Order: sequence, then structure tokens, then C-alpha cells
Amino acid sequence: MPFEGVINFVNGLSAGQILAYFWPFFLLDMTRYLFLDVIVILIYIPKRILNKARFLNARKRLYKELPLISVIVPGKNEGKHIPRLAYSLDNQTYKNIELIVVDDGSDDNTATICRELERKGKIQCFIRNEVRGGKASAANTALKYSNGKYVIHIDADSHLAYDAVETILLPFYMNPNIGAVGGDVRVANAEETFATRMQAIEYLKSISTGRTISSELNILRIIAGAHGAFRRDVLDRLYGWDVGPGLDGDITLKIRKLGFRVVHEPMAICYTNVPTTFWRLAKQRFRWDRSMVRFRVRKHRDVLFPSAQFNFANFMATAENIFFNIILDIKWCIYFIQMVVFYPDQLEYIFIINYFLYLMANILEFVVACALLHLSLRPRDYFLAVFIPLIPFYTGLFLRIVRTYAYLMEFLYGASYMDKWNPWKVSRIAKREKL
Amino acid sequence: MRKPWVIKTDNKHSVPVNVDCVAIDQIDSLPVEDVAYWLIDMRIWQDGWQTLCQVRRHLSPKVYLRPVVFLMESMEMPAEIQKAADGHINLVSVDNAILEDWVSRVEPVNHWINHLAHVDEAQDTNIAFKVLRLITSRNMELEPVTTVRRNSGYVYPILEPLFGKRDTGVMETLSFLESQHLLTGKYVSKAHYCSHCGSAFLNFKESCPHCSSDDLAVDELVHHFKCAYIAEMSEFKHGDHLQCPKCERELRHIGVDYDKPSMVFHCNQCSHTFQDPKIMVACYNCGRSTEPENQIVKVIQSYSVSAIGLNAAEYGLEALFTNILDSELRLYSINAFHDFFHVEAARISRYKISSSSLAMIQFRDIDQLYIKLGGRAQEVFAELSAIFKSVLRQSDIITARNESIFFVIMTETKKQEAYRAIERLQEDVVALFKNNLDFSPQLVISIEAIDEQMDLEKTLEDFLGNHAV
Ligand SMILES: [Zn+2]
Ligand SMILES: [Zn+2]
Ligand SMILES: [Zn+2]
Repeated sequence: MPFEGVINFVNGLSAGQILAYFWPFFLLDMTRYLFLDVIVILIYIPKRILNKARFLNARKRLYKELPLISVIVPGKNEGKHIPRLAYSLDNQTYKNIELIVVDDGSDDNTATICRELERKGKIQCFIRNEVRGGKASAANTALKYSNGKYVIHIDADSHLAYDAVETILLPFYMNPNIGAVGGDVRVANAEETFATRMQAIEYLKSISTGRTISSELNILRIIAGAHGAFRRDVLDRLYGWDVGPGLDGDITLKIRKLGFRVVHEPMAICYTNVPTTFWRLAKQRFRWDRSMVRFRVRKHRDVLFPSAQFNFANFMATAENIFFNIILDIKWCIYFIQMVVFYPDQLEYIFIINYFLYLMANILEFVVACALLHLSLRPRDYFLAVFIPLIPFYTGLFLRIVRTYAYLMEFLYGASYMDKWNPWKVSRIAKREKL
Repeated sequence: MRKPWVIKTDNKHSVPVNVDCVAIDQIDSLPVEDVAYWLIDMRIWQDGWQTLCQVRRHLSPKVYLRPVVFLMESMEMPAEIQKAADGHINLVSVDNAILEDWVSRVEPVNHWINHLAHVDEAQDTNIAFKVLRLITSRNMELEPVTTVRRNSGYVYPILEPLFGKRDTGVMETLSFLESQHLLTGKYVSKAHYCSHCGSAFLNFKESCPHCSSDDLAVDELVHHFKCAYIAEMSEFKHGDHLQCPKCERELRHIGVDYDKPSMVFHCNQCSHTFQDPKIMVACYNCGRSTEPENQIVKVIQSYSVSAIGLNAAEYGLEALFTNILDSELRLYSINAFHDFFHVEAARISRYKISSSSLAMIQFRDIDQLYIKLGGRAQEVFAELSAIFKSVLRQSDIITARNESIFFVIMTETKKQEAYRAIERLQEDVVALFKNNLDFSPQLVISIEAIDEQMDLEKTLEDFLGNHAV
């Protein structure tokens, strides 16, 4: 009986042995994902309740001022998604919104759809760039023609909850030092396939909970392009976005470098469509993970070293990210080799116990997420709990393999310069300039 | 040998050429077949133009078809006026040799006119027929000429004097002749016309989709590849070179380190920014603005005479209406009509138990129908025939003098009854046109009771004399 064997194996371990066998979980993951989660939720949730009056006050001031908000949507071949997005803007509780869509060299009927919406007044400004310039230049075009005091960047294939615009603006009215607010991103097509269900659970953990915690610890390092609000004066100072991929993380860090705070607002919800197959998901993550290396390690390595602008929070935001993503990735290789070399006989037990530990951690994280987000969760979101037993395989194996491969390619070849993400004319310059 | 004649115009200048002079209203007394061409003094071109119009509107083919040569001092007149004549001679250098040269140059036209059958008594009242004859006699391809003096933007110079001041009619008449296969059209151009007033003078303007203002500025967007900054060209201008305001690099080569992905319009009135301006069309004539899709687009053609057209120009335009009437009602020849009349008159006076009536009907302005209807004239004539058929009876005898004058013997019909029947015909005709067009040809009607004393010839002549134009 393997189960009996596992019990016996565990019973026979001393504390030192437990650490030797399962150090990645107890030393690193448990500390980060569980310890921090629980502690911060114990602080964050009560604080949120206590801050209710401040939220109401911020809301009152927002509606009194009623500033123009620019929702900017850059994209290529996204026309089919725009009507639904425009509709979700029409139904916002906050009304003073302009929608600016930039078509980055689409070769489908995007222009036709958007021109029609522009005529109907559903889009206030539609700019088509005949030649593709990449996501950053499209976002900058939209920024150029937006007039709002705050700019909300949204991906075309997503749509907003009815109160998302209002909610994402509140932090600006609670703290004048906030330069950007990240909105929550939830999976719109969770029920579509197994792959989308896995991602729905992952998003609740890593975005909804994870970014709330990072925000609370002031180490938030990314305002998602899928849903982020920016102060226009801050964007103007930066002259907008830089060449991607990874432009979201990049601009977040630049805003932090200017001395502004960036926070996450888990109740401002945007629903986005995620890849429906594991293969497409792998390609998406491959792109995201490589940009991590490029932007943290190459472009912004200055935050890691003492200088005139040195800022401990910025240092932490970057260091934490590099440490947990890259160093921890290498850690898995070391752990794997260690187990195979020193404990080849107990591999089976070690695997089962690791699974059990991570399963417990995931259940706890899901409970924490539910506690944090319960007001905004739908009944079917709770139903996702059924799939939690599969999550350790999803995050522990699938995502880890994709990530390791991406880091390897980026370190070895700087592969993201060749990415289809940017047109060749831009990638070529980026590579030459070592951006 | 034929010789030129000067037609006197109103102006007081005397014409410095040794050529006989005639006043326009004296033309009928000339031996017109010996005239080589009319010389018209164009020193005051407006006067000369009036004279040309009078010549072309004459009904005798011997007069209106005759070549016209302008005597000119300078070229200071609109091109389409100058081209309305067959030629022009410079007043300064005119001499007998030149005048004689023109005699031989226009001889083919004169030859064609003079060999026409019945040319001496012919009166061409139908404007479509006159157009056909004028084109045929010149053996020409009728070319449109652009003009700013007419709302239509195009004129066919040689036809202009036929139509005079009326701005419409030329195109419609040509399209009618084409629909009858008498002329063959050839594509020259397309033109847009105001849907309100038909003017060709349109101003196409890009305007703001928000406030309709046409006070717009156009900006070219520049994309700096290196830093992804995008802004208008003016933001990059830095002295005589381009410099990126974001990263302060110099922009050197378009396509290498920067490009221009698009153009953007900016409304100076309401500050709206857009790429897809609304095109509006303002009419110079009536001042109204409309969307381009509401404009009328017409194909402008040149025309040449077809083989059928050549034949029709020589022997007479087969009267379309009478043809249709004939197929519906059976039209009798004027001679047969005479015979019937005498039989009927004799019958009535012998038995003295019944009476019959003679109805004379004339449609005024029937040539206007071609002008108004163009190719659709045929349909309307078919409907007209149907009205004739419904009002008249099988026993009635009809003849047509031409396509606008009809005589009917209404057997066993008292004058009063005949009057009522023809009145009904008139009402139906008026209704037909009222429903389809805001135009109705005038009907002139006369009814007489038939008896043996009646002189048919004289009665018809009286009717024509009193009413015919
Ligand atoms: Zn630049
Ligand atoms: Zn405007
Ligand atoms: Zn007009």
C-alpha cells in the first residue's frame, strides 16, 4: 500500500530530514505563498472594512469632480471584440468616459467595425495605423489622442464589470501619491475548456490575491495592460509606453522610479478571454516569461544597485520578482538532481508528499481568495474548487516547464527580439540598442 | 455657285466685307438653296448669338441646317459659343479668297440639305428631328464640351442654339434619340450633379463628423521605432532635422528608424480628432449641402448617327406616336380618310336619320415629351394610345397629319356626344400626365357635324390655321 508506506515514511522523518527532503516547500513556497497570504489577509481585509468611510468619501469626491476618463484600447485584428467592450462601457456606473481605439495595422474587418461604431458615437476616436508599429506605439497613439484626466488601458478581448471604471479610480482619490492602479483581471471564458478552468483558478491566486498582497507590501511590479488605470500627467512625463514585450511591467517600474505608488484594486473587475488550449497557453506564457528576464534583468538593473535614486521598495519589487522567478526556477533543477542522486529509492514517496503539501497550500489559497473577493465572486467561481486537486500539476509541472524553457531561450539567444509581438522594423532596432 | 449671306444683327457696325446682307425676318424671301452659309458678325457676340439662335430655330431645314460662319475680331467669347458655328473668319484678314474657300468647305453640307425630299415645303417642328438632321448634315461626331456657363457643366455647342436659354432638354433629347437607335453614344466621362437643382458645380469637402465644419487641419503621425513614441510631425521638427521629444535621438531615415503610420484630421471648430472625415458636397448653384451618395451621376457621351439614324434624318423621323397608335387602332392614310369622309357625308344627307361628327385634335408641345421623358417617351405614347383606344370606337376613322395632329370621323355620333367623348379623352390625357409628370401637353379640340356641304379640306386648313404653330 503506497498510502501506508507514505505514513510510515513521514513518521520516520526527523525535523532535519523533513527540511532536507522538502526544503523548497518549507523554506521558500510556504513562506511566500501561505505565510504572507494569511498574514496580509488578516491585515488587508480588516483594513478594507475599516476604510469603508474613506472609500465612500473618495467616491463622493470622484463624482463631484467627474473628470473625463479615457479608455484606450490598442490592438491588431481585435475588431470583433470591440462592440462588446463598447457596450460594457455604455453600461458603466461612471458616465464621463471616452473610448479610444487604435487599430495597429489589422488585416481583417476591424476598421469597418470600428468606423461604424465611431459613426454611432460608441467610439469617440478611432485611429488606424495602416502599417503595424507594435503594441507600445499603438498605446502611445491612443494616449496622444485621449483627453481624459485618467487613462484606463484595456485589452480589446476583455470587458468591464458595470462598476469597474468607478472602482479603479477610487485609489487616486484616497492617496494623491498614487500614479497607477491595477485592476483585477478575471477569466471570462472559464467554463470553456479544462485549460481555461486551470487559468481561472490561477488568476484568482496570482492576480486577485497575489497582486493585492504585493500592493499591500508596496512591491507591486505590474499594472496589467489588460486592465490598468494611470494618471495622465504621469504618462505624459514618461512619454507613454516603451517598446514591448513586457511593456506593462516596464511602465509600472518607470512610474515607481518617478516616486509614485502603484496599487492593485481587486474589486475593479475586468473579464478577459484566456487561451483555450494548453498549446496556445504555452505560447502566451513563453512570451510573458521571456519579457520578464529582458525587462527586470537587462533594462532596469539599475534599481538593484545603490545610486542617487535608490529606493528600497523599488529594489524589493524587482529583487523579489527576479529572486522568485529566476532563482526559484533554478532551485527546482537543483532539487530534482538532489532527489534523484541522494534519495532515488524514496522518489515515489517524496512526490506524493510534495503533491499533498502543495494541494493543501492551494486549497488554503483558494479559501483566502474567496475571503478576499467574496463580494465580487459569482456562484460558478466557487465551483472551480472541484478542480483544485489538478492545480499542483498545472503550476508545478506545466507552467514550470514553459517558464524554464523561456528563461533558457532568453538568456541564451535573446529570443524575444525575434518575437512576432513587434514588427521586424522595431525588433531590429531594439536588439541593436540592447533595449 | 452658292454664295454667303450676311445676316444683319442689331449692332450698328457695318460689316466690312463685300457680301449681300439680309435681315433675319427677310430670310424666307431669299432663294435659300443658293446660300452657301450665313455670315454672322460676332463683334458683339451676345447679339451674334441671338441671330444664330434665330437661324437654328427656323422651321425650314433649308434655313436652320444651313452652315453658319462667324465673323470675328477677337477670340473673346466662351469656347462653346465659338464652337456653335461651322467655322469662323477673322474680320481683320477677311478677303474674297477666304470667303470662297469656306464656300467649298461647307459644300458637302449644302449638298446634303438640298437633296432632301420635300425640302422646299418641309417644316421641321420636332426638336429631336432637328437635332438628328443637324448632326447628320454635318457628318460629325457630336462631342461634349465643358463649360462654366451652363449648370450642366457640359454642352454640345452646335445644338445649343436649337434649345436657346433652356438649360435642360439637350441631354434628354439625345438620350431619346439613342433609345430609338438613331444615335450611338460613346462614353466620354462621368459627371456628378446636385440632387436638388441638377447643377454640375459641386464642391467636395472633407468635414468633421461631429460638427460638420470643414475647417480641418491634417496631421501626419510619426512613429519612432526605438522608443515607440508617436506624435504629429510638428512635434518632431527641430530646426532643419527631426528629433524625438521622448528619447531626444535624431530621426534620420524614414523606414529605418521611423515611419509615418497614418494621417489624422483635427477639427478647428470642435477639436474632434478623426481619420474618417465625412465628405460633404456643397452646390455652387443652390447652396445646399448633401452627402455624396445623394448626388446624381450621369454618363456624358459623344454621339454619332447610326445607319437607321441616317435614313431617318433624310426621309423623316418615323413618328413614334403615330406608329404606336397605328398598331393599336389602325390609322388611315389622309387619302383614305378623305374617301371615307365623302362616303359618310353622302350617306348622312341621303338618309337624314343619323348624324356623324368630325373631331380635330392637336397636342401642343408634344416635342416637349421627348425632352422631359427621353427614352421613356415610348412608354408614355403607348399609354396615350390606350386612352385613344378606350375613348374611340371600332367604327371611328382616324388619321394623323403628323404626330401631334389627329382627325377622327365619329360615325353615328351627334356633335354633343362627340364633344363629350373627346372631353373624356382630354381628361384622361391630362390625368395621365398629372400622375406621371408635372407637365401636360395642351390639347386643342374642334368638333364639327358632318354634312354634305362641309368642305373637308377647308375645315382642316382652318383648324390648322387657327391653332397650328
Ligand atoms: Zn524616440
Ligand atoms: Zn468639428
Ligand atoms: Zn444645387
